[in-house]
Amino acid sequence: MAMIECRELTREYHKADQVIRPLDGLNLDVPRGDFLALMGPSGSGKTTLLNLIAGIDSPTRGSLTVEGSDLAQMSRNGLAAWRSTHVGYVFQLYNLVPVLTAYENVELPMLLQKISRRQRHERVSLALERAGIADRADHYPRQLSGGQEQRVAIARAIVTDPPILVADEPTGDLDKASAHTAMTLLQQLNQDLGKTIIMVTHDPQTTEYAKHTLHLDKGQLVEAGVEREEVPA
Amino acid sequence: MRQLPFHYAFRNLGRSRVRLLASLLGSALVVLLVLAAAGFVRGMQQTLTRPAALHENVIILGTGSEESIERSQINASIEGIVAASIVGIKRRSGVAYASPEIHTLLPVKTEAASDTDRQAVMRGVRDVALLVHPHVEIVDGRFPRAGHDELMVGGLAAIRLGLPEERLAIGQTLCFDDRNWTIVGRFAAPGTVMDAEVWLPLTDLQIATKRPGTISCVVVSLEPADRGGRFVSIDAFTKARLDLEVTAIREQEYYASIAAFLAQIRWMIMITAVLIALGGLLGGLNTMYAAFAARVREVGMLQALGYTRRAIVINLSEESVFAAACGALIGCAVGLLLLDGLAVKFSMGAFALRMDAPVVFAGLVGGLTVGLVGAIPPAVRCLRLPIAEALKSH
Repeated sequence: MAMIECRELTREYHKADQVIRPLDGLNLDVPRGDFLALMGPSGSGKTTLLNLIAGIDSPTRGSLTVEGSDLAQMSRNGLAAWRSTHVGYVFQLYNLVPVLTAYENVELPMLLQKISRRQRHERVSLALERAGIADRADHYPRQLSGGQEQRVAIARAIVTDPPILVADEPTGDLDKASAHTAMTLLQQLNQDLGKTIIMVTHDPQTTEYAKHTLHLDKGQLVEAGVEREEVPA
Repeated sequence: MRQLPFHYAFRNLGRSRVRLLASLLGSALVVLLVLAAAGFVRGMQQTLTRPAALHENVIILGTGSEESIERSQINASIEGIVAASIVGIKRRSGVAYASPEIHTLLPVKTEAASDTDRQAVMRGVRDVALLVHPHVEIVDGRFPRAGHDELMVGGLAAIRLGLPEERLAIGQTLCFDDRNWTIVGRFAAPGTVMDAEVWLPLTDLQIATKRPGTISCVVVSLEPADRGGRFVSIDAFTKARLDLEVTAIREQEYYASIAAFLAQIRWMIMITAVLIALGGLLGGLNTMYAAFAARVREVGMLQALGYTRRAIVINLSEESVFAAACGALIGCAVGLLLLDGLAVKFSMGAFALRMDAPVVFAGLVGGLTVGLVGAIPPAVRCLRLPIAEALKSH
C-alpha cells in the first residue's frame, strides 16, 4: 500500500465568475521512503499538490490518503494536529522567525509535542546536528547566510521526526554551493532516515537528487517519473 | 491546544521601535484620560457627599431655597429659636450645635486698585461652626475676630480664586466691600466643598453684604441616637412654625441633590472620555493592523507547523496586551504623579482629582482593553487568508 494515495484529486478556486482548477482529477501513489521531485510550468498545480499532501489545503473533490488518514475528512484543528506530527515543511524563503534564534526556531514545532523540556532539548540539538548547523544555534536568522538559514529550516522540518517532508523550491533562493549542501542534506534524510520527501522544483539539476521526477501540466500528470539508479555525490 | 511561547510575543515587540512607542504612548494616553475623567468624577462626587459629619447635620433655610443656600435669607433670630425649641440638637457643655451662617459668592480683589474680580465662596460663621463642621480644622493661624476685618481661607481657596498659594498666606490681604481683609488663619476640610471657601465672622459678612439681621441658614448637628426621629421633629417644627418661613433639609440630601444636578456634567465627561478612548483604540487598531499585516507569511508558517488559529490569535493578543499593560503602568504612574490631588474649580468651590484604587483600576482596565480589543481584529484579519496563500504573501 502506498504511503500517499491521490484519487481523482481535484482542487478548484473561484475567482469572480471563473473557476480555476490547478489540480484536475489527479491520481498518484507515493511509496514510503520515496524522494519525489515535482516539476512543471507555473500554474501546473505542483505547489497545490504539495500543499494538499502537507495538509495545509483541502481538496475540492477526490480523496487524499496519507498513511491511512483521509485528509479531506479532517477538521481544521484536526489537520493542524496531524501536520504537527506527520509533516515537515521546507519553504523556499526559509520562513524563519527573525526574533528567535536558530535553536528557538527549530524548537517551535517541538512546543506542540507533549514531551519534557530535557527531551525537547535533546531533539532540537539532534536536529541541528543532523542539519550541520549546531554551531549556529544561538544565532538569529539575520546573522546567518541563506544556506545556513535553509539548514535551520530543514532542522525545524525534521525535529519532530515526521515521516514526510515536503519542500517547496528549497533551493530557489540559494547559490549553487548552498543548494548542493541543502539537497545533499535532504538526500541523506531520505536515504539514512527513510523520510518520504516530496519536492517542488523548477531546477532540473535539483531533480537529480530525487529518486523520481513527475511532470505536471494543467493539473494533471503528463509524464511518469523515471527511477534514478545513481544520484550525484 | 498548545500555545506559542510568550517570549515570541515579547520579542516581537522589538521588531519596530516606532510601533512599540506608539503602542506604549497610545495606551498610556488612554489610561491618563480615563484616570483624569474618573478622578474628576470621583473627586467631585466625594467632595459633595463624603464627610461623615454631613450625615448628622440638618440645614434650616428659607422656604423655597432648598436648591441653593446662597438664595436663602432667614431672620437671624431663628438660630436662637431653633436652639431653644428643638429637642435632639447636640449639646456639649451647654453649647448647642447650631451654627448660623451666611453663604454667598462675592467678588474679591487682590488689591484695591486691581481691575480683576475673583468670585470667592464666602461663609460667614461664628466659632460654633467648628463644632458643627468637625472635619474643618484650622491648620495655621487662628479663627478671625469679628470687627477686625479678618478672615481665614481653606486649603483649595487659592485654586478657586485662581491665585498662587503664597498669595493666600497668613498676613496677606484680600479686598472686598472697599476694604482690605487680613488672612489670619488657614483651615483644611479635605474632600469637602468647604475646603475652597473663605470664612469670616458672621457679623462682618452681614455688614459687607448689607443684610443686617438676616442669615442664609442655621446648620444644626443632631445627637447620634435616633437621628431619623430627630430629623422628623425638626421637620415638624419648621412645618408648625409657618411664621418663620423655614424648611429643614438633611445636609447630606442637600449636597446629594447638587451632586445629582452635576451628574449630567459627569456623564458628559465620561462620554467624552470614552469617545476619546475609542479614538485611541482606533489608532491602536491601525498600528496593529500594519504590524500584523507584515507578518502574514510568518503566521502562515506557524499554521503549517501545526499551531491553531486560536493559539496564534492568543499570542498576537499577548503581544498587544503586554505593550498596552506597560503603557498602562506608565500612564498610571504619570497620573498618580501629576493628577492625584490636582485641584479643579467648579461652581461651588474647588475639588481635588482623586486617584484612589477604583480610579486606578478603571485606568488599568481601560489600557488593557485597548490592548486586547486593538489586537483581536487585526489578528483575525491576519489569519483570514488560507495557509497556502499566506505562505505566498510578501
